[in-house]
Amino acid sequence: MASGEKRVEIEKELSFGPVHPALIEPYRIRLFVNDEIVEDCELNINMAYRGIEKLFDGLPVERALLIAERVCGICSHVHAWNAVRVIEGGLKIEVPDRANYIRVITHEMQRIASHLILFGHAFEVVGHETFAMRSFLLRESFMDLISYVGGNRVMPSVPIVGGVRPRADLTESLKRVILERVDEFEEKYKAYVTRIIEDPLVMSRLTGIGFLTKEDAIKFHATGPTGRASGWDYDLRTKMDEYKPFDFNVVTDESCDTKARIVVRALEIFESLKIIRQAVKNLPDGPVVNRSWKPGEMDFTTALLETYRGELMHSYALDSQGKIRNYKIRTPTPTNLAAMEHACVGDHVTEAILTIASCDPCLTCCTRAEVVDSGKSFVLSDLEIVRKYGWRK
Amino acid sequence: MNLKATSRKNAIHVMVAYTGGCNGCDIEIVNAVLSPRYDVEQYRVLLTWNPREADVLIVSGVVAWQMVEPLKKIYESIPEPKGVVAVGACAVNGNVYKNLVGDIGENEEIWAPVDTVIPVDVKVPGCAPRPEDVIAGVVKALPKILEAP
Repeated sequence: MASGEKRVEIEKELSFGPVHPALIEPYRIRLFVNDEIVEDCELNINMAYRGIEKLFDGLPVERALLIAERVCGICSHVHAWNAVRVIEGGLKIEVPDRANYIRVITHEMQRIASHLILFGHAFEVVGHETFAMRSFLLRESFMDLISYVGGNRVMPSVPIVGGVRPRADLTESLKRVILERVDEFEEKYKAYVTRIIEDPLVMSRLTGIGFLTKEDAIKFHATGPTGRASGWDYDLRTKMDEYKPFDFNVVTDESCDTKARIVVRALEIFESLKIIRQAVKNLPDGPVVNRSWKPGEMDFTTALLETYRGELMHSYALDSQGKIRNYKIRTPTPTNLAAMEHACVGDHVTEAILTIASCDPCLTCCTRAEVVDSGKSFVLSDLEIVRKYGWRK
Repeated sequence: MNLKATSRKNAIHVMVAYTGGCNGCDIEIVNAVLSPRYDVEQYRVLLTWNPREADVLIVSGVVAWQMVEPLKKIYESIPEPKGVVAVGACAVNGNVYKNLVGDIGENEEIWAPVDTVIPVDVKVPGCAPRPEDVIAGVVKALPKILEAP
């Protein structure tokens, strides 16, 4: 990246990982440092390759949902939901309104839980343990709600093809519990956010580092809150049919630094609370699942969804027996990766991990092939793999 | 309880080795140890990332090919006596990746059960196990450490 116009002499290479105190997930960071200033950064993500896309081949969709949910443990609902949206779009399966509302409720609950993990992680990196612990405590109320709805804290498996599982149907008492918890949470969370923003120590640590301008964000395909923190007003939720009934704002920030990325996520939680309230209050009556569908042949269909980290793509085809062929997943983190690498450049070396953490990497769900050629490794994109080796047989 | 056991009991260090799962178990483990709700730090069980300090190694996730050697290295650098807890269905039996349901098919990209790589003392099943279960698993591994000569 830094190479191009002028070549920079690199004094030292710092390499972390794959198992390192500052990194929770296994990935490798190589920082090329010149006088403690980062000149270039390389993230290597291929430490958790599980071959999950290959497992999908030849399975009926209902069974594939089991695996789709296990792609990621933080955004498990999103993967299950998007896997279902592909077949619903492709075979024109009608989804009852009530099911859509419950899916949205679970989605926003997990968004809050996911953003609070980021705060926990980011403030752990900053070194402010009190804020990290408080965000973990706040998160518990939403983990409880997810387990009330779905039955499991991490893998709620709410969506099935044509609706949601009847177990996840919201009863009157559960609706009341959700509204109460949301009010309780908002009060505590407001105090928490106010404390973060008014804390000069933490803010001075976050402000003015990890710049990612709007042009760079668009150039490197930063999606989700990482892109929105650079002033790029792009949120897929505004275009999705499922989100049509709800009124919410897209949070953007023009200051483009690490603070902006934290603040955008902090404010996004309020919008999520707004959506949950509207959805629970206006929950329509009716069935939660439409069982009148038959698996059949389907051409390649793609579904896009705004997850907590950015844009998620699931795509597959069904053969004549209704079995899945060529499953393809693109999670938001690989698209954010170049932006993360770019944001580190030019800062002091101590800020690098914080900058990467503020982009909220979730590296378990990235799958890419890596080619090691005479000691120099590079990563191929999906299209290059297909061009070089053809579609998976 | 002799002096050695008493002093060991006062500072149990837990290390999490993440070997390529889905993050679900991993966060539940960190939750169990750190987060204020489950907080086992109050019983002087501390989370560490240095294998040379650790007493209990918690392994989560399917063992990806790239993580086999690092996992062995981590296990070897933990001083005796040590306990190993495998947390989550992936670490215990391979979950969906190793044909759990019967007809999903086996995945050759991973080395699933952790006990094929390093010896495991306690297994905590569940996808993902609750933090209470993780705590119970760690407590079950403690007698081995405390009673060691």
